[in-house]
Amino acid sequence: MDPSVLTTLKILLIGQSGVGKSCLLCRFTDDTFNIDNAVTIGVDFKMKKITVDNNNIKLALWDTAGQERFRTLTPNYYRDGQGAILVYDVSNRESFTCLETWISELKTYSTKTDIIKMVVGNKIDQERQVTRDEGIAFARRHQTLFIETSAKTKEGVYMAFEELVRKILNTPSLWEKVEDANVVRCNDGNSSISEQKYCYC
Amino acid sequence: MDVEDLLNDVVSMDDLKKFENEYHKQLTTGTVSQETKFHYAWCLVRSNYPADIRKGLILLEQLVKHEASDDDAKRNYLYYLALGNSRIKEYSIALSFIKGFLHLQPENMQAKNLMLIIQKKMEADAHKGMAIAGALTLGLSAVVGIGFALTKNLKK
Repeated sequence: MDPSVLTTLKILLIGQSGVGKSCLLCRFTDDTFNIDNAVTIGVDFKMKKITVDNNNIKLALWDTAGQERFRTLTPNYYRDGQGAILVYDVSNRESFTCLETWISELKTYSTKTDIIKMVVGNKIDQERQVTRDEGIAFARRHQTLFIETSAKTKEGVYMAFEELVRKILNTPSLWEKVEDANVVRCNDGNSSISEQKYCYC
Repeated sequence: MDVEDLLNDVVSMDDLKKFENEYHKQLTTGTVSQETKFHYAWCLVRSNYPADIRKGLILLEQLVKHEASDDDAKRNYLYYLALGNSRIKEYSIALSFIKGFLHLQPENMQAKNLMLIIQKKMEADAHKGMAIAGALTLGLSAVVGIGFALTKNLKK
């Protein structure tokens, strides 16, 4: 692995069909937006490098299909995920209501108990059916991060991924290798966390 | 697991077994639903074993030829036919399936990306082939050269 990369994180995108999961991902990885984006087949995958607090991180992003016909197989991809982005469409109440199902599915299938979850209300450029306060209340109830975005106008998109990665990095048990657990880690510039509290010296 | 692209995505043995059991259970009753067949095929084409992948491809071909109920279903089967063939390095067959897909839906980004991956692998393979051919030619000319030198020596 590239020595300048601190770690590779597995991130999942989950939510009802048509809420804009693939569009969020395209905006984040390629800075493009396609309004006629077709429904995802099974699972799609993208790789992206980002720098968060001076740490170079590789993201393996798994974009799962929301369509019913793929529902039996997509949860198998939740395994080993360190972060999950649960997306709903603020202009479609049903997509918000069924977030409960997605969150419980995630609980059932994810193998990492401390997986970081983020609820994302997408399509804020459109007329709302779900208020920001409702979104915040849901996120609080389920102890997840929360942000509203528009893949179309870019608003909030980069910040969403950045925040999620930051929270994962702040939870070393999620990403530090077992063999590293007994090793004394010191801050050595770009290959470790910059904040003092992560130095075990 | 460090996945670099979709082709490295490998099914877990547990999943493969689970969906295999379901498929066989339905086989014994005489009718296998399109869904069950597809789920099993989807697992097979992501197996580490080429024999599994080939089996998955047979199921997907049956699905696309005889059972696809709508264009969406057909599209899904074509996509996994392309993916499975790429995983056993049958790149030109893979390419024909993904082109078939793009004929149905020319603007699909997911399919376009898979086509790019296939084309890149094809190119890498061609380069490898050229390198091997080059090395062979070099080796052969060396042998011929030594042969010439030897015969020259013998004549002396």
